[in-house]
Amino acid sequence: MNKKTIATHIEKTTLIGQRVRKPDAADKSTGKTRYINDLVLPQMLYGKILHAGRPHAQIVSIDTTAAEQLPGVHGVLTGKDVAGLKFGFVRDNVALKETVRCEHDEVAAVAAETEEIASQALGLIKVEYKDLPGVFSPEDGRREDAPLIRGDFPGNKSLHFAFEHGDLTAAEAESDIIVDNVFKVHHVTHCCMGTSCAIADFDNNGKLTIYSQTQYPYNYKMDLAPALGMHPGDIRVIQPPVGGAFGSKLDVYPYEPIAALLAKKTGRPVKVLYTREEEFKSAPTRQPAVIHMRTGCKKDGTLTFRSADVLLDNGAYTSWGPTIPVVMMRTVSGHYRVPVIAYNAQAIYTNNPYAGSFRGYGNVQTTFATAQQIDMLAEQLDMDPIEFRLMNAQKPGERTPQQAFLRECALDKCLTTAADATDFVTRQKEYGLLRNSDSRYKKGIGIASSIHNAGGAKIHKSDGCGTMLKVDDYARATLITGASEIGQGIDTVISLIVAEELGIPVEHVTLMNNDSDLAPWDVGVHASRTTFIAGEGARRAAVKARQQILNAASTFAEISADELDLRDGFVVRDKEGSIVIKLEKLLRQMHFQPEPELVMVTDYYEPNSEPEGADHISNMSAAYSHAVHIAEITVDTWTGEIKVDKITSAQDVGRVISRAGLEGQTEGGIAIGLGYALTEDMQLEDGMLKNPCFRDYKVITAPEMPELDLHFIEDGCAEGPYGAKGAAELPTIVIAPAIANAFYNATGVRILSTPLSPEKVVRALILAQQADVSSSDSMATAAVS
Amino acid sequence: MSEITNYLSPCSLDDAVRALADGDVTVLCGGTDLMPQMEAGQREYASTLMNIRRIEGLAEITLTGDTCRIGALTTVSEILTSQLLDEVAPVLVAAADQFASDQLRNAASIGGNICNASPAGDMIIPLLLLNAVVELASWQDGAIQTRLISLHEFFKAPGKTVRQNNELFAAVLFDKPPPGFVAHFCKPGPRPALEIATVSIGIGGVLEDGVFSDVRAAMGAVAPTPIRARRVETTLEGLPLNADNIRAASVSAGEDATPIDDVRASSWYRDHLVRVLTKEVLNDVLENTN
Ligand SMILES: Cc1cc2nc3c(=O)[nH]c(=O)nc-3n(C[C@H](O)[C@H](O)[C@H](O)COP(=O)(O)OP(=O)(O)OC[C@H]3O[C@@H](n4cnc5c(N)ncnc54)[C@H](O)[C@@H]3O)c2cc1C
Repeated sequence: MNKKTIATHIEKTTLIGQRVRKPDAADKSTGKTRYINDLVLPQMLYGKILHAGRPHAQIVSIDTTAAEQLPGVHGVLTGKDVAGLKFGFVRDNVALKETVRCEHDEVAAVAAETEEIASQALGLIKVEYKDLPGVFSPEDGRREDAPLIRGDFPGNKSLHFAFEHGDLTAAEAESDIIVDNVFKVHHVTHCCMGTSCAIADFDNNGKLTIYSQTQYPYNYKMDLAPALGMHPGDIRVIQPPVGGAFGSKLDVYPYEPIAALLAKKTGRPVKVLYTREEEFKSAPTRQPAVIHMRTGCKKDGTLTFRSADVLLDNGAYTSWGPTIPVVMMRTVSGHYRVPVIAYNAQAIYTNNPYAGSFRGYGNVQTTFATAQQIDMLAEQLDMDPIEFRLMNAQKPGERTPQQAFLRECALDKCLTTAADATDFVTRQKEYGLLRNSDSRYKKGIGIASSIHNAGGAKIHKSDGCGTMLKVDDYARATLITGASEIGQGIDTVISLIVAEELGIPVEHVTLMNNDSDLAPWDVGVHASRTTFIAGEGARRAAVKARQQILNAASTFAEISADELDLRDGFVVRDKEGSIVIKLEKLLRQMHFQPEPELVMVTDYYEPNSEPEGADHISNMSAAYSHAVHIAEITVDTWTGEIKVDKITSAQDVGRVISRAGLEGQTEGGIAIGLGYALTEDMQLEDGMLKNPCFRDYKVITAPEMPELDLHFIEDGCAEGPYGAKGAAELPTIVIAPAIANAFYNATGVRILSTPLSPEKVVRALILAQQADVSSSDSMATAAVS
Repeated sequence: MSEITNYLSPCSLDDAVRALADGDVTVLCGGTDLMPQMEAGQREYASTLMNIRRIEGLAEITLTGDTCRIGALTTVSEILTSQLLDEVAPVLVAAADQFASDQLRNAASIGGNICNASPAGDMIIPLLLLNAVVELASWQDGAIQTRLISLHEFFKAPGKTVRQNNELFAAVLFDKPPPGFVAHFCKPGPRPALEIATVSIGIGGVLEDGVFSDVRAAMGAVAPTPIRARRVETTLEGLPLNADNIRAASVSAGEDATPIDDVRASSWYRDHLVRVLTKEVLNDVLENTN
């Protein structure tokens, strides 16, 4: 065998922006990954929940005797067992109910030896209900004579948010054009591949270990504790691999305390795992809303004001979902330079399923409105649509009325990049001219943009993340972070960053982030914050470790640390790249010397942002970014089907860290956005879900994915690792209005509600025809809901 | 929950129909309808579950004389890739191409599709155009007896057919259509795969010298069972296939259809679709014979 030749010189290279394989890719694609759903603990029991199956009712009586006597059943719980254990954002929820307020309400729960026995036991529970009249839309809920869903919330009013800036009356008076529309956005749900699951286990000291899919383990403890009457410190959260979250695991839902309460009652571990039907009915939704928006501008194209009156369907309980108006507000006040703002949002309790957080968090809903109104204004002004947007686009250094500081701002670059790549202006004109031809298929092109926080979102006092890093005697690094991996790829980002700083292969970095007793604090995976914050935390920790290593190498080789670098598992001279010592050898020397030293460092990174206060005036994120989507579509005017031919995206990402990961996030975000725009729809009839299955709830599948042309704008960012910004939510946010605008371009008809389903499209086209819209530039506002 | 106490997997038709004669049997083929229906609590298992997929000789596609025979166990994938069917009845292959997804097609059988008697069953529409008949086998007087029944008389209501509990669906048969016969099938939907028909429609006939004859039309998901669209047929029979007649046929299609509202669409939209799709299918027929 040839002796392996080792290079004596190693060139400087960088991993930043490279395509790196996701560490769990091989296990996931071969089926080796053991998801929480696969997990079985010794002696584990199976928990099943009896759902009410009616939207609003009083429980008159409940008899569990037969269920308790069924062999194999170890415990049965009902509402009386959890009396007073309220939880939730406004403490309006309990794990098991005595009053039913929505279809999936949990009425009783059973723990048994097998799933089959547990299901059988549910069938033996006798419940007598007295049905009550319900409220099924926010419009109905706020009527004076509406049935009251909860005594403690008069008028069915849940959360309210408002923000005003500038003189609205004056701004209206100086506007030459005002567009005024009511937009309606609908119920959709996350459809994670792994259904909801929790496994709870108590030890005999009363400490709870919960195996959870949560994406915010530390606040989760705090939110779960009141549902169990425990101290959060007595809860340990373990996060096995999960099949997706997308915001749906950013709260505590009743099945989790139920698993814990059953475990407590039986003294055995208990697993609750939803069926797909339960998942559809019980998982949180995106918040539906009715948005009355007005936007004004002057003849020269300058925007004058924007007002938005938002009515939200809270559902029966208040999860995090009803806080989305905080983000909606940022879009209303920050999507283009709008000097005067009047914003008002009220969430109304209904007997519908309740909303949680969902990728895009409110911005998906508002951008559907803002981006269509911008499009309407451009047309009514008869201005070049890109010019109009560019002239109102914010510039670096500007602040929004809410004091979001756009230190770096690449909206103009996003606009021109996407427009140039598609020849937008010419095509839009061309298609617009063809819209009155009598051909069956019509082509359209539409543009939409939005802004989103890209440097975390300081909704708590701290938006930070803790990191610990050790480098062992074999030059393998273990990074312990509070940031969770829910499939989004923080594992790749962090491994890549640590490998970059320590000059070791990416595969030599191990990430530990799934045990709350081990890893330090983090606020959770949300708000597009994890790469920005946990990534920066990892970078800072790695830099500290690197410095410690270089200092030791400096002592060893008697070369100044400044002149050394770490590359490919070696310490080298920075300039020449010549090898000084093998890294693992150095690490062992550091360890086994008279004054032994291990490489172990910690970091807590707090982004430079201000907490979102009650007045909503703060720079709540350490960075902001923009995205522009251009959709090219073909409308089948006979069947109403919209085929998306191509999506061109230009997004300000600051700097690409993990290229394949970013592409994946963007593509996945587009898929979710396309489903929202076109096919996904929770069909609710009096609060009851009619399509709780993938056959009838239509997510976008691979063959429907259009051609994608992704452009990442890399202008850097003063904060954030290597200049990267958060990037995960924007792709979902901008797609629906881009399609709605393209639809208008193709047909001359506006659809102001989601989804643009075939039936709705046909109805809108027929309506418009009946209104005899002949001239291509008159605006038929067929708001079909 | 109903309990299965007996599982059978016969290898011969003989054994299968004998078991049926003993009564209380659930027939399992690909299971792609059966399993979801059981899971959803829409049906209950009989005490015996009989898997028929091992029965020999029931998964063949043959042409004897002018008669084509497709065995009950033939999968949609096998139909999609059959050279014989591509020549004899391309419309059936075209419908197979719009059926669910690869995984489903590999499991789903033609017998299951027909016996499930969904008004939206995709294999049924082209077979109605082909004037297909169904062969039912049963065990009587110590031997296998078969009876033939025309496919359009086979369906009674959603999920209900004239098949007796002691009968096994053995095959579907049809005569090779006359020379010059062209037929088209169409099923709209925003997803090219995995779409249960909102409506589906098939029209065929012989187009000679501009005149359309031997017209056969069928529609799915617009009535309690898949139907022959008789008004469409009469409207077109013996007449030139031109824009006026196509328009008239589209109106007739609306009259033939008696759709309902459900989660997939409103009756209004279904009515609209059958009209426009009638135009589409007839235009396709025109284009492909020119
Ligand atoms: C996700 C999904 C997508 C689907 N998409 C489509 C689609 O696009 N188009 C479409 O038409 N269908 C679709 N289906 C429905 C289903 O796949 C088809 O109807 C299929 O052909 C059924 O065949 P099978 O062999 O699986 O039948 P099974 O489920 O095994 O049986 C169906 C019924 O027929 C009975 N049966 C079966 N064979 C016989 C026999 N030889 N004799 C007597 N009785 C018998 C069974 O007892 C049962 O009642 C879909 C189903 C799913 C789950």
